[in-house]
Amino acid sequence: MHERWLLSRRKFLHALVGSGVIAATDLAWWEAPLISPRKAWGAEPVRFQFSVPEPTRITLVTSLVQRFNQSQKDFEVKVEFVPQAQARQKLISAISAGSPPDVCQVWDNWLGQFQAMGAVEDLTSRAKAWKHQQDVQDTAWQTVTVGNQIVSLPLALTLDAIFYRTDRLKEIGLKAPTPDWTWDDFLTIAKAFTKPDMNQYGYGMRGGGTWAVLYPSEFAYANGAEVLNNGKLAINSKEAVEALAWYLDLALKHKVTPPSAATDGFVEIVETFGRGVTSMYQHNSGSVGQQKKNIGAANFATVPLPLGPAKKRATFYFSETLTAFKGSRNKEGAWQFMSFMLDDEPCLMYCKTLGLLPPRKSILSKPEFADDPALSGFVASFPFAIVSPYLVYPGWGGRIDSDGVPLIQQAIVGKISAQQCLDRFAEVLKKEMT
Amino acid sequence: MTAVPVPLAARRPRPLISWRVRQLMVGYSYLLPAALCMLATVVVPIGMAMKMSLYNDVLYKPQDYRFIGLGNYVRLAQDAVFWLTLWNSFVWVFGSVVLQFVAGFAAALLLHQAFTGRAVVRMLALLPWIIPGVVVGLIWEWLYQPNYGVINDLLIKAGWLHDRIAWLSSPDLAMAAVVFTNVWRGIPFFAIMLLAGLQAIPGELYEAAHVDGAGVLARFRHITLPLLRPIIVVATATRIIWTFNYADLIFVMTSGGPANATQITSTYTLLQAYANLDFGYAAALSVVLLLVMLAFTAAYLRLTRGVEEVG
Repeated sequence: MHERWLLSRRKFLHALVGSGVIAATDLAWWEAPLISPRKAWGAEPVRFQFSVPEPTRITLVTSLVQRFNQSQKDFEVKVEFVPQAQARQKLISAISAGSPPDVCQVWDNWLGQFQAMGAVEDLTSRAKAWKHQQDVQDTAWQTVTVGNQIVSLPLALTLDAIFYRTDRLKEIGLKAPTPDWTWDDFLTIAKAFTKPDMNQYGYGMRGGGTWAVLYPSEFAYANGAEVLNNGKLAINSKEAVEALAWYLDLALKHKVTPPSAATDGFVEIVETFGRGVTSMYQHNSGSVGQQKKNIGAANFATVPLPLGPAKKRATFYFSETLTAFKGSRNKEGAWQFMSFMLDDEPCLMYCKTLGLLPPRKSILSKPEFADDPALSGFVASFPFAIVSPYLVYPGWGGRIDSDGVPLIQQAIVGKISAQQCLDRFAEVLKKEMT
Repeated sequence: MTAVPVPLAARRPRPLISWRVRQLMVGYSYLLPAALCMLATVVVPIGMAMKMSLYNDVLYKPQDYRFIGLGNYVRLAQDAVFWLTLWNSFVWVFGSVVLQFVAGFAAALLLHQAFTGRAVVRMLALLPWIIPGVVVGLIWEWLYQPNYGVINDLLIKAGWLHDRIAWLSSPDLAMAAVVFTNVWRGIPFFAIMLLAGLQAIPGELYEAAHVDGAGVLARFRHITLPLLRPIIVVATATRIIWTFNYADLIFVMTSGGPANATQITSTYTLLQAYANLDFGYAAALSVVLLLVMLAFTAAYLRLTRGVEEVG
């Protein structure tokens, strides 16, 4: 044998000491988790795509991923942060190319399309045998069930309520709205809040993005309208048109919305409230944390959506899900990570930090959620919350963005009437029902 | 002394490949790597897009995937939004490029003059071009913000505005607002290109014209413009093609809204592909966009044939 292949006694001892040091380092880390990132050799990688609308999530998710990586030795989650605007596009490209991430944070309104593409993993059997299955709210399961298959785990829930400025209400001498307030009360308060000369408006109407269509739809339910009635499209019913006309009048007739309403999206409605331009807006609990920083927890509160003329109301449930894909290379690792994220501590931390509502009943009843005045409007909305009717057909999600939003924008600026808006939208949705 | 017979040199065998062909092959072999790259990244995807445009390819309806011939193109011809986006694209492209050219030319003439601090001004003039498009979009979106944006605030403080204007939310103003932003961003491109051309014009020509009694306008018309024509042609054509495909600003600032007022064909294609997952229709839109660009480029080159050689 060539001399250079021979291992001298000295070299052998060096190698032995080296291996010992590496093993000891790993052991030291294992005994004291969360000190440094995991360096577990041989762990199978799990690719996790997470979209980021704001920086808080990066810190939070990095920390949770580290905790998972340190809690076991078989899998190592590698998180890939993607800007929210590109998340869906990137995911679709990855699925089409046959290389999806192992697990991905996905909004439930995308699930219908992905399931129809045959891209998502059926988790029904795993979910039914899961230890927290009974603790997850039924509605949360509904949001992730497509065609009798559970295709995701609901990570957090959202439903909409009205944010309002308590300090300004006191200034103008009006009483705070009660949970059973009405459309008339809403309009009275919105008008009282509106002072255009001071650049203050009553209601931050949303004209940009998917929810530009969903918010007026929620108001329509308060007038007795429905998107689907016994499986038939009813989005342009008399009640729906009346409700939309009333909603549009907030901008066109009463002018209680900022001039930018037609294009104001998530960032704008949250920012304008935070900067004192608007005094009410409709959103989910995801912006509670930001408003606590912007205007202070004492200066705002939340209340359920107002009751309409039909003495009804609805708010749409959505869930932020963790979804695995058929093309995943590490399905077991993906499931282990998904279920870890819904364990007590990660679920509590995730929802508490982001102001979202936990899908598990036992966590929702904790004081962090049940006793927070800023969340009271959302907790009070649970009894009349419904799963978004737009999730029924997989093609509707995309049509809301491509056709619904431009139509509602035209209606907000007064180019078309409520009737024209809903009639045209009904035509578009009808084509996707076949 | 007898002469030693000198053997005749053996006739050199004729090479299998002639010198001329070998020279050509060397040339082509240099081109080959780049050509292969272009083939893989441009030609093949274009071919695949053309094929895709002939299919009903909606990702969430795999059961409906089938060959439909020109079906997507027929649908496109009947799609009112497509025609609107095509018109918007022309407004976006020509509005932007014409104004960029005029302002860029003026800036180049200014920067060509000798003045103290010229180097610093030239460097600063490049800033809008250096900043990434998405950042430019975000900055201008904030400037235009009607409720807390700087533009409305300054106009109100100056007494020129009473009611706040929703620059990006009004269907009548939104396109003008995004075009203005694009003009701001594109001025340095023309300024630098034209400045380089101006510096290459010999000063003696101006001196001779001046001696002959030519005024400023006459010198600009008869010396500056003709000698800059090759650069103007190339810069304008390049910029038009870029702007046609450049959707970043619109995507960030308005997402095509309000009510499709700023929706150009590129953003509409993106919407069809990634909102509706209708890849067949999106591919048809891309092919039409490609044809429009090819037609434009051919017409432009025909109109300006020989101009490059003028200088």
